[in-house]
Amino acid sequence: MNYSKTSLTLIGSILFWSLPVLAGDVKIVANLSITANSISPREIRSVFLAERNSLKEGSHVEPVFERSGLTHEIFLREFLRQNSESLQTYFGALVFTGKAAMPKSFDTDEEVLAYVIKTRGAIGYISPSASTEGAKVLAIVPEGGRSERTLVTRVEPEYPETLRQLHIGGTVRLQITISPQGRVETATVLGGNPILGDSAVRAVQQWIYAAASGRSVAVVTLAFDPD
Amino acid sequence: MCRSAVRLALLCFILAPLCPQAQDFRIAGREIQVHGFASQGFIYTNDNNWLTMHTSQGSGAFTDFGVNISTQVTDNLRVGAQVYDRNLGDLGEWHPSVDWALADYRFKPWFGIRAGKVKTTLGLYNDTQDLDFLHTFVLLPQSIYPTDVRNASLSHLGVDVYGKFSLSHGLGDLLYTAYAGHRSDSLYDGYTYLATQYDVFYSRYGGLQYGGDLRWKTPLQGLLVGLSRMDQDLGGNGTFISPYNPTGGFVPYADASKGDSTNQFYAEYSRRKLQLDSEYRRFIHDDAINSGILLTATDIRGWYLSGTYRVATHLALGSYYSRYTIATGSGGPLAALFPAQTDTGLPANHVYDKVITARIDLKRFCYLKVEGHFMNGVGDSTFPDGFYPQVNPHGFKPETNALVLKTGVNF
Repeated sequence: MNYSKTSLTLIGSILFWSLPVLAGDVKIVANLSITANSISPREIRSVFLAERNSLKEGSHVEPVFERSGLTHEIFLREFLRQNSESLQTYFGALVFTGKAAMPKSFDTDEEVLAYVIKTRGAIGYISPSASTEGAKVLAIVPEGGRSERTLVTRVEPEYPETLRQLHIGGTVRLQITISPQGRVETATVLGGNPILGDSAVRAVQQWIYAAASGRSVAVVTLAFDPD
Repeated sequence: MCRSAVRLALLCFILAPLCPQAQDFRIAGREIQVHGFASQGFIYTNDNNWLTMHTSQGSGAFTDFGVNISTQVTDNLRVGAQVYDRNLGDLGEWHPSVDWALADYRFKPWFGIRAGKVKTTLGLYNDTQDLDFLHTFVLLPQSIYPTDVRNASLSHLGVDVYGKFSLSHGLGDLLYTAYAGHRSDSLYDGYTYLATQYDVFYSRYGGLQYGGDLRWKTPLQGLLVGLSRMDQDLGGNGTFISPYNPTGGFVPYADASKGDSTNQFYAEYSRRKLQLDSEYRRFIHDDAINSGILLTATDIRGWYLSGTYRVATHLALGSYYSRYTIATGSGGPLAALFPAQTDTGLPANHVYDKVITARIDLKRFCYLKVEGHFMNGVGDSTFPDGFYPQVNPHGFKPETNALVLKTGVNF
């Protein structure tokens, strides 16, 4: 059966937007001057909406945005609860009333990373598969977080070929239990497409975290981009 | 009218491909940001000239622009300033003003200070009312944000304190602003313009302005509610022709507010491409003119309900209903010249406005708006509310329909 690309994109979009709003599948990268190892979703929101210019532990921060793309859209929707137009309006209001500066924005993960690496206090977001060499990756810890664990080895999920051909994508949210040694003991799908969920579970079970004194529970989200 | 419309269309097509990019440069290792905006409008009304323009013939005397420059001095200190200029019919008249010029020091997320000339936080849009490119509508609801008397609440020279508290138990965020300063009006605004019909010519108008704003980002995603309060102690000086001695030429004039307060309540709900807003404002102003030869009392109430929806990447549609009423009273020896007006059901004491609009984003920083206003009432001719006797010498008709076009750019 032949589907036009427009129709497939439309179906993919509908499925994507019909998914529940979950934590985003992005990596938060920071300049090495930032001493924190983790950041909460609420703190991410405050920093990227220019409501605060320092993290709770005191490091000065400067948010860096991507201009477009799936990672950008997921980040805006899930962390900032905005879309591109509303974000533009939001910062326009701040900049033209003297309440904030216009944040830096770049076209690609590589450009974001390059700016983060060279700029004191810079903090940005990139796709999970992008390189982070030279920058610090901040763990996203839920509010009142039970996890301070740092991800050491990450295995990307396989994209089911049938869904890719149909341009079906979206996000999958998993709750995982991490052993003191850093192994993922359990992974439970909390939301998302069930087929993508199976693939996500298989990948996450191969992840390895830094060792800790006890067992941890965390919620992670993975994005599947058919393009 | 045709010439204005053609000029507007030409401007739109010329500006679209020339949209400039924001200018960032460095001086002594410090990054400087420069941003700006400009817009050109056109209004045609079937009856009554509106907003001091000769709109019944079609008018393009509806232009403004602004440029700002700012830099981050230290991690917590930022300075900047913006110049703004406009021409709206007989208002503005191309006299540029410092829109804001401030130093902003943020000690903590929950406490910061802004000092200098600061835009006044009042309701959802007071501080952004001039920034046409931010809004779907050309004219914000005039019951709350009258563009002809924007000086009345726009900014103050003083100090603001502000901050944000995150509430525990997932109850959302509280944002506050408190301020005190001096308001100094442009002499090219609606209030001073209206006074010329009584042969009063101001040389100064302004005074103390203080107040606060508290808004709650509720746990319900996209819902914000808030309230604002503003008090003022105002006064003006100038010259006028005394009604007691009309042939005696100009004599000194002074007025002083005995009470001036504004309460505003508002709510905003946004969800994906939909945004709903509603605000209510009550403004009370009591004045004493020339030590009491005339005492005036004004009670203005306004509210609106608006909705906008982005139907496509380049197209947003919107509509609002705005309701404005004014009641006035007077006292003192000259009170007989200004009888009380308390029946807000009369067209002379209200403006009800139904509006539909479409905004087309030609490029990321260029747009064109088309808007229709269907108004009933013209407000009180002793207080500026859009319709002025000076440009309506033959009197008012109760109904006014307006076609409003506007295009603009920002960078």
